Amino acid sequence: MVHLSSALLKRYHGGFVVIRLALGGCTNRPFYRIVAAFNKRARDSKYIEQLGTYDPLPNKYNEKLVSLNYGRIKYWIGCGAHTTKPVAKLLGLSGFFPLHPMTVTEAERKRKRAELMKAQPDGDRAEEEEQDKKEQEA
Amino acid sequence: MAAPGMVHWVRIWSSCLKNVQRQGSGRVVCASRVSYSSSSDTGEGGFPKMQFADEKVQDILTQITGLDLQKVFRPVKEELKPPAYKLMTDAQLQEANSRAVEEARRRLKMTPVLPERKPIQDILAHDKVLAGMETAKYVFTDITFETPHRQRFVVVREPDGCLRKASWEERDRMIQVYFPKHGRKITPPPIFQEANLKNVYRQDQHEALLDLCLAQFEPDSAEYKKVHRLTYEDIEKQGKYNLLRSTRHFGGMAWHLVMSRNVDGLLVDMLQRDLVHDAVSLVSLFNLVHPQSESAEEARKLNAKGLDLLKVYAKEESQRAGYIELALQAHQRTF
Repeated sequence: MVHLSSALLKRYHGGFVVIRLALGGCTNRPFYRIVAAFNKRARDSKYIEQLGTYDPLPNKYNEKLVSLNYGRIKYWIGCGAHTTKPVAKLLGLSGFFPLHPMTVTEAERKRKRAELMKAQPDGDRAEEEEQDKKEQEA
Repeated sequence: MAAPGMVHWVRIWSSCLKNVQRQGSGRVVCASRVSYSSSSDTGEGGFPKMQFADEKVQDILTQITGLDLQKVFRPVKEELKPPAYKLMTDAQLQEANSRAVEEARRRLKMTPVLPERKPIQDILAHDKVLAGMETAKYVFTDITFETPHRQRFVVVREPDGCLRKASWEERDRMIQVYFPKHGRKITPPPIFQEANLKNVYRQDQHEALLDLCLAQFEPDSAEYKKVHRLTYEDIEKQGKYNLLRSTRHFGGMAWHLVMSRNVDGLLVDMLQRDLVHDAVSLVSLFNLVHPQSESAEEARKLNAKGLDLLKVYAKEESQRAGYIELALQAHQRTF
């Protein structure tokens, strides 16, 4: 069943419901709510329903907490809601969706970069030593 | 119509109550507990293995718990209110008394004794492609309102790409974060550390400690069992059985003592307080739970009832036989 109010809104043609992250929290302390909202709405403004939360900062047990109301997410996806990239990535990590291809790509890129850093330790260390000498002379 | 509507409402509420389990703090929580039945129903020698939840065992335990109204309804630290005085006829007083007894029985509902939960070790997926992407784990909790907590999905994505079910401690912590229960903290308070437990025992606060433990931990978790075991052992060492008498923890304590065959102290305490009937039921519970023990076999042979059971137990099984016989003789002399 399609959410009927989008069909009834006169100034909102071609709009759709989207499941996305709405930012909250304080300075230097982000906190996201996973939310079903019309896509034209502002990011943090009135949403249709809150479907979960995502805390990007790890807690004292080194965990990032994500809560997901799978029942309602299934309902909204059944109504034809789209998901944004970060939400799709989170759902892929949780096992609800298949893994997002960008997650895999980013993991591979990070691994390559880490290997490059390991492969050139002498060049980097020589540069750091030169910088330290210059700071001591100055 | 008011009357049929009220009856209908009461029927719905009473059917709801059957599925509701009242937790230690008194808050009503809907939870369907997975039933834990032992794998083998017959223990040694073809006798049925007695569980804590069996009817006979529960009857005996409720009986020896006692029903001291003064202790159950003793003044609890609450907001100061001026006392309320009511003028009642005899019939109304009797009715108020019977209602108080009902309420006391409800408050004395025994705490559960369940087998310890096995650790969760399910791995749902192992995606090695994700290794090294994150430095922190992701914990995904399902916050659908209607699912019972025992069936809720709590899943952890490790930094090495492994997707596994969360362990029991992680589960309890996540469920407390998203569905907070009154009286439960996310990290267990330091009172449950062994050094602090000794202080609590010195101040005779066993009942309050066990109430706190019931609110904080799940009944089949290792910490719950450990705290209860240490408390019961301390009570048995010091002989302070009366602290828990007429509270909801007495049944659990009696069960623990019977299972570990340490019933002598409790028996002697009961005889000293002239609770001979309770002592007899305690010995019969012991014989039910350990049907292969010498006292049980003797009792079955002689078909002993009442005081004879005590005498048989004193002769066969107990280490303080002399004490029990002395107390029995003293009791018989007075009656």
